[in-house]
Amino acid sequence: MATLTTHARTADPSPEPEATLRRGSRRWTQRNWIGGSFGWVWLLIVMVPIYWIVITSFKTSSNYFSQNPMVPPSEPTLENYRLVIESDFARYFLNTTIVTVGAVIPAVVISFMASYAIVRGTGQRFLRYTNSLFLMGLAIPLQAVIIPVYLIIIRLKMYDTLGAIILPSIAFAIPLSVLVLTNFIRDVPKELFESMRMDGATEWRTLWSLAFPLTRPALMTVTIYQGLLTWNNFLLPLVLTQSPTQRTLPLALWSFQGQYSVNVPAVLASVVLTALPILLMYAIGRRQLLSGLTAGFGK
Amino acid sequence: MTALAPPPVGVRPTTNGGRSNAPVAWMAVPALAMFLAFGVVPLLGVLFLSFTTWDGIGEIQPSGLTSWRSVLSDPGLPHALWVTFLIMALSWLAQTPLSLLIGVFLAGRQRYREFLAILYFIPLLLSSAALAITFKALLDPNFGLGEGLGIELLRQDWLGESKLAMGVVIFVVSWQFIPFHSLIYQGGVRQIPTSMYEAAEIDGAGRLRKFFSITLPQLKYTIITSSTLMVVGSLTFFDLIFVLTAGGPGDATRALALDMYKRGFQANLMGPASVIAVILVLVGLGLALLLRRLGGRGDESQLEGA
Amino acid sequence: MISRRNFLNLGVGAGAAAALAACGSEGPGTSGGGSKAGSASYWFLTGQPGEGIRQHAVDRFNQANPDAKITATTFQNDAYKTRIKTAIGAGQAPTIIWGWGGGGLKSYVEAGQVEDLTDWFGQNAAVKDRLFPTAFGPATINGKIYAMPAETVAPIVLYYNKEVFEKNGAKAPETWDDVMNLVTLFNGKGIAPFSLGGQSRWTNMMWMEFLFDRIGGSEVFQAIFEGKANAWSHPAAKEALTKLRQLIDADGFVKGYATITADSNADQALLYRGRAAMMLHGAWTYGSMSNDGGDFVKSGKLGYMNFPVVTGGKGDPSSTVGNPGQYYSISSKATAEQKETAKKFFKDTVLNDAEVKEWIDSGNIPIVKGTESSFASSKDADFLKFIYDTSANAKNFAQSWDQALSPTAAEALLDNIAKFFQKSGGISPDQFITNMNGVIGK
Repeated sequence: MATLTTHARTADPSPEPEATLRRGSRRWTQRNWIGGSFGWVWLLIVMVPIYWIVITSFKTSSNYFSQNPMVPPSEPTLENYRLVIESDFARYFLNTTIVTVGAVIPAVVISFMASYAIVRGTGQRFLRYTNSLFLMGLAIPLQAVIIPVYLIIIRLKMYDTLGAIILPSIAFAIPLSVLVLTNFIRDVPKELFESMRMDGATEWRTLWSLAFPLTRPALMTVTIYQGLLTWNNFLLPLVLTQSPTQRTLPLALWSFQGQYSVNVPAVLASVVLTALPILLMYAIGRRQLLSGLTAGFGK
Repeated sequence: MTALAPPPVGVRPTTNGGRSNAPVAWMAVPALAMFLAFGVVPLLGVLFLSFTTWDGIGEIQPSGLTSWRSVLSDPGLPHALWVTFLIMALSWLAQTPLSLLIGVFLAGRQRYREFLAILYFIPLLLSSAALAITFKALLDPNFGLGEGLGIELLRQDWLGESKLAMGVVIFVVSWQFIPFHSLIYQGGVRQIPTSMYEAAEIDGAGRLRKFFSITLPQLKYTIITSSTLMVVGSLTFFDLIFVLTAGGPGDATRALALDMYKRGFQANLMGPASVIAVILVLVGLGLALLLRRLGGRGDESQLEGA
Repeated sequence: MISRRNFLNLGVGAGAAAALAACGSEGPGTSGGGSKAGSASYWFLTGQPGEGIRQHAVDRFNQANPDAKITATTFQNDAYKTRIKTAIGAGQAPTIIWGWGGGGLKSYVEAGQVEDLTDWFGQNAAVKDRLFPTAFGPATINGKIYAMPAETVAPIVLYYNKEVFEKNGAKAPETWDDVMNLVTLFNGKGIAPFSLGGQSRWTNMMWMEFLFDRIGGSEVFQAIFEGKANAWSHPAAKEALTKLRQLIDADGFVKGYATITADSNADQALLYRGRAAMMLHGAWTYGSMSNDGGDFVKSGKLGYMNFPVVTGGKGDPSSTVGNPGQYYSISSKATAEQKETAKKFFKDTVLNDAEVKEWIDSGNIPIVKGTESSFASSKDADFLKFIYDTSANAKNFAQSWDQALSPTAAEALLDNIAKFFQKSGGISPDQFITNMNGVIGK
């Protein structure tokens, strides 16, 4: 039932302000129950599909169509997980990790450098143009340029390598990272830069010993955000690689689907296995992520 | 990487603005080079391809405006633009109030809310392809959610009717991204100084008034940032729609990005696909400029601006 | 989509999966090797059981011919389609090009990228004569043969649930009128007449293929294939589309069919769980239904037959549609030695006894004549015999339209089919014909 009400809400958000209006006279010390109830309803909406994914991943494929989809399996099996792990899951996982780390770290570092330059060198025409170019880049969807990227990668003889995914991923991570990081570096009080300069520090040193620590939360945010995007990227590996040895997780998932068209539970088992490690990382590093989000976007 | 392209403009240190005396411009070069090589060059490539005819197999033949003419006279184009706009507008409308609400709620410091925040985060971890597969199975009229919960209303021809299919796309998009935007808002709300609320309280302001006169204005830039991400991001919904509806039923959910992929990679019409790509970029640019203007963000620090 | 049709996956359960896992860990998708002059390269698709069988054929050849080896590289279905196109465009095609024949092959032929094998088949009549003649259709472009037909057949079959039929006093349909009567009958009993995974589009296309053929004969689509102007305006096309529209309007297909995908096999589940009475689908679904359907197949509840006749139609009732085979071509850019190696491979190794046995063991019918005795002892002997007979006796075995047409036309076709099958607001037969005439010959 709850799913229903909120589905309607999702499509039509207008009732919300009205509801708030009616309650306008109440005092603020009272619990924010509108937000609160939404919080719980939303939890339900989030959890129902996830619950389904988890229980179904323990079903056999003949169980899948013969049992009520929302009821846990009558004869749970680990077969799907065994299948996925034996289908080279570890390699795909490693590939995805290499691509994500290999793309995000360089991307964030060069974006950070560029952001620093853009903020510190305000007024230089070259940097102004560079900044505008990046802002423009914010609007270039990867799909729009996938064909030429593909041709460039072939020219570079990098087709079907992990590098083929990494290079464009770096390029397309730059605009948003620069946008967020420049906003943040601008907030560093100018006096601090000035005193570094008085001390005779080079810009390179100032970058790392002053700007870097002060910008760390924003760097975290950008890293995590870009990391998620790269981790789940589908189009680049689809177009730029072909062999199983270079396959990344989202693509592996998708080709599982073709090969095991019968076996939805196996696909879901691989979804669970893919999500678990990041969820763990999130659970551990959530405070930092939050402060990062606050710093990077939340103003 | 840095060797890929030389800096295109002479880099001369200036003391303009009195901000920096040492040369810093070179620090922008690696990022610029990467972006030129894999962002701008391909963009020019697309522009070039849009004036050619190419099936992906034979020779690339320059053909002037042929591709442009065929795309611009195709009723599919305004339709795809409309669908793109619809997805953008509806997903913004669905996500913004809900994210704001949940974000404000999560900003409370109770422990259970932190636990909720972890659970909320899960959808963000799933790739769009995985999500699309999941929801396709859940929406199956015979073996999905409707059957499982015994709710007749959930047994619709979800992906077979245009309006429903659009609704499903918006719902899945929201399902995936509301958590992220909620976290952004949560961060934003926590940054608002409590002193502002205390002052308002002394003035006898009600809860609602505080929300509209403090929280909302204070979140102005958060809203703009989050909206930028939503709007620009909506242009690039591709894998989700590709796997979930494949643009269907008919062409009810065929947005620009999908239209381009279908023409180029499925129908072997690289010329027209490139035309769509150019249009996609133009739309994106227009939007980004618009949002920048709305945002009114200059070079000044946010703190000063707010 | 094509990968699904490529394998009649009788044993797709854990067995095939384990085999796949084994192959996946073999390392890079390249094996064999050697760079001697006669070494040929060969690209083909992953996905069991085909992948293993193709690899074994290569291994056998390499063992017998140490001087002129074949190097195999494997590709996942959709990646392959992109990759082979680009490689051929860039003049870097492998010596042996694995493909589906039809429209794709035609585009290679027009670009002058594949060898004409007509003379070679003339000289090696024995190679040609042992294969199903219908398999040569998609290999033949403008009267010349450009590919070696290979691997297996997969006709489209009309399945029905015998239990449901018996309970409701229904008989298997012999004519289109019977079909429409059954629709009324089953709808009255609250059972969906036909299951359909309509979101997948090509599932809908099979209905058109059969109706066009039964009403107008094979020449209707032949004219479309050859790119004759306004070929879709043939009166038989209009009649077929009108009949199909009637079926859709009469709720012939299960409610919500446009949401059901064929990949999830939910369409098959509807049939074996008795919620739908009939289903038109590829021969390959037999395997998954016997795997997932409990004792449905084992206890003989699954009925199967060729598509019924349309009274007064010109088509031959023995004709069928689907996949008449897979196709191996030789790149015209290969060296003379490489071409020789490839031809030797075609002649000695492709579909030799060992390979034929492997295909049959995996539950497929290879395109070779006279294999009936090999599957007589199989537990699925009846079904295999039915598929063999259907394929071997078909007057005309039409290739799936989306593969027969050029990629451009095929995409337009699938698109318009999806619009035609929309329950409300779908396009009319006339609109469909107009739209499709617009892409003829493209």
